[in-house]
Amino acid sequence: MATILRMTIIGVFFLFLVIGQDVYGGSSSTTMRARQILEEVDDLWRSQSSHSILSMRVKTRHYTRTVTMENWTKGKEKSLVRILSPRKEKDTATLKSGNNVYTYLPKTDRTIRLTSSMMMGSWMGSHFTNDDLVKESRLSEDYDPEIVFEGERDGRSIIEFGLIPKPDAPVVWGKIVFTITAQDHLPIVSQYFDEDMVLARTFTFSDIKEMGGRKVPALMHVVPTDKPEEFTEMVYQSIQFDLEIADSFFSLHQLRRR
Amino acid sequence: MNLVSFAFRNVARQRHRAWITISAMAFAGFIMIFYASLMEGIIDATERNAISMELGQFQIHVPGYRTDPDLYTLIYQDIALLQTIEGAGFIGTPRLYAFGLAAAGKASAGVRLRGVDLERESLVTEAYGHIMTGKWLDERDPFGVVIGRKLAKTLNVGVGDEVVVVSQAADGSMANDLYAVRGILKSIGEGIDANGFFLNASSFRDLMALEAGVHEIVVRWQGRETPLEQLTQNLGDLVPDLEVKNWRQLRPVVARIVDTSRYSLIIMLMITYTAIGILALNAMLMSVYERIREFGIMKALGIAPWRVFSLILLETVMQVSIASLLALAGGVPLSYYCESHPIDLSKLASASLTFAGIAIDPVWYSRVTFESVFTPVAVLFGMALFAVLYPAGKAAVIRPVQAIYHR
Repeated sequence: MATILRMTIIGVFFLFLVIGQDVYGGSSSTTMRARQILEEVDDLWRSQSSHSILSMRVKTRHYTRTVTMENWTKGKEKSLVRILSPRKEKDTATLKSGNNVYTYLPKTDRTIRLTSSMMMGSWMGSHFTNDDLVKESRLSEDYDPEIVFEGERDGRSIIEFGLIPKPDAPVVWGKIVFTITAQDHLPIVSQYFDEDMVLARTFTFSDIKEMGGRKVPALMHVVPTDKPEEFTEMVYQSIQFDLEIADSFFSLHQLRRR
Repeated sequence: MNLVSFAFRNVARQRHRAWITISAMAFAGFIMIFYASLMEGIIDATERNAISMELGQFQIHVPGYRTDPDLYTLIYQDIALLQTIEGAGFIGTPRLYAFGLAAAGKASAGVRLRGVDLERESLVTEAYGHIMTGKWLDERDPFGVVIGRKLAKTLNVGVGDEVVVVSQAADGSMANDLYAVRGILKSIGEGIDANGFFLNASSFRDLMALEAGVHEIVVRWQGRETPLEQLTQNLGDLVPDLEVKNWRQLRPVVARIVDTSRYSLIIMLMITYTAIGILALNAMLMSVYERIREFGIMKALGIAPWRVFSLILLETVMQVSIASLLALAGGVPLSYYCESHPIDLSKLASASLTFAGIAIDPVWYSRVTFESVFTPVAVLFGMALFAVLYPAGKAAVIRPVQAIYHR
């Protein structure tokens, strides 16, 4: 799910933010440091919950659309997204629970489970696939991290991470390159390379705001490399972190509730 | 003495062997007529299944659509185009395609949505007549859909059950609607069986938010039999900006299977006739050598070699004629019977036989054609006469003295 993916990425950088300090002092090798950060990311994700309202703007050659949605997450296994607008799709909801993805369709009052054949399909008409939604970013388990660059670039001091998937990791990417600010450890750019090491899509983070008690980029802009004139943009209107959300909230019953 | 009555007497005199020869040839002829008719029927059915069910004789697309079936790759001038090709003796039907997910209960499956123009589709293809249970689509039932048999099994639905479809509409929104299964198709081809989801073109447009344009136009030639390449060329000239392909180009494998079955029919016929030829040869050789002394005496009495030769040929013709009549008497009625009473192998072949993506009906109908009846008879004659040439020639030129003392 777009939001999950996004949250994962942001989460990664929160982690840099939160635990970066500890790591700086203790670790001697950069690889150790990078790995430690990743492991902390995974640990953090197991306990984190969030509630947010965001809008997604999608522009393709054939249409431009804006969808506003409400999103709840808990850990990396559970999330629920409900569409607020446009009216045609209002109350359409997607529940991710473990490896299953369910979609509630208010028009037909039915809930369906997405199968593997739909996984590479677009999610809500965006540049994310349903597969993005299901894939958990077990970064420390799936990727070998490395800090590839640290210093000045374009007038900003940054840290660039290279993540190479482990040989047996069930991931679709050949490499991920993250760039974060050196000072606050906020994400700037992340680039996803496919298995042929060709750049597939680029995430750009901007509009850093204080939301939910944290400093986060409120805008994420995704451009697929093969269609540079297209994009999907996610704008966070509000986020709250570490709320108490019961596991039962992420249920099929809740999915149907309007 | 009259050569004909002489020959007749000879045949009648060796009644026992004559009947063995005749019945062997008759039986072979009978089997051949039936086999040829059955093969005609099967090839016909294969070709029909491949072409008239869904594929059509010709298809028109925007160039590139076939390799990348994009929802937005549309033929917009569809109405004008249909009129143009109709003016030239073709008839076409527009189709709309999209991929989606169909779900019923807890089961779900990827489907290829197929929006069809009901009025036109039935003029071009025959899927409407290939319903296993239920009914074909109806204009008055916009939410009634027809699905492939494997898909019905995957979704575990029957006629009347509801199916939810989800896809991505042309405007990027989530297309979804609830449909009721109206009919389930018989086996048509691997693709349609497993993911065929037919709905009215207007329902398709509502679901997919697609106002204009079509993805495909399927075309059938209505005129007299004309070579396929010629027709493809003619059709291509009518729609210069679009890609026109005939069914052989669209499904070369299917075309090859159809061709191969024709060749294999010919080869099977040749093999069987060779066997019959050898049988006739053997019988004729025996009958000639057994009577070698008679021929010697005939020659000694001054009968010309060509008369001896003709005599043996005549004997053969008589026997083959009787054999052919028997073969026709047995084979033709049986073949006709199997035109309406097919050989049903569905119990043996677990319902659905698919070969290279085309359905092969496990129910075999025969088809009696002029070729399937008279080719076997003609070949029977030819082979028997050819087989008898050597013994007849041998008898014609034999020297009387040698023949009389022949042991």
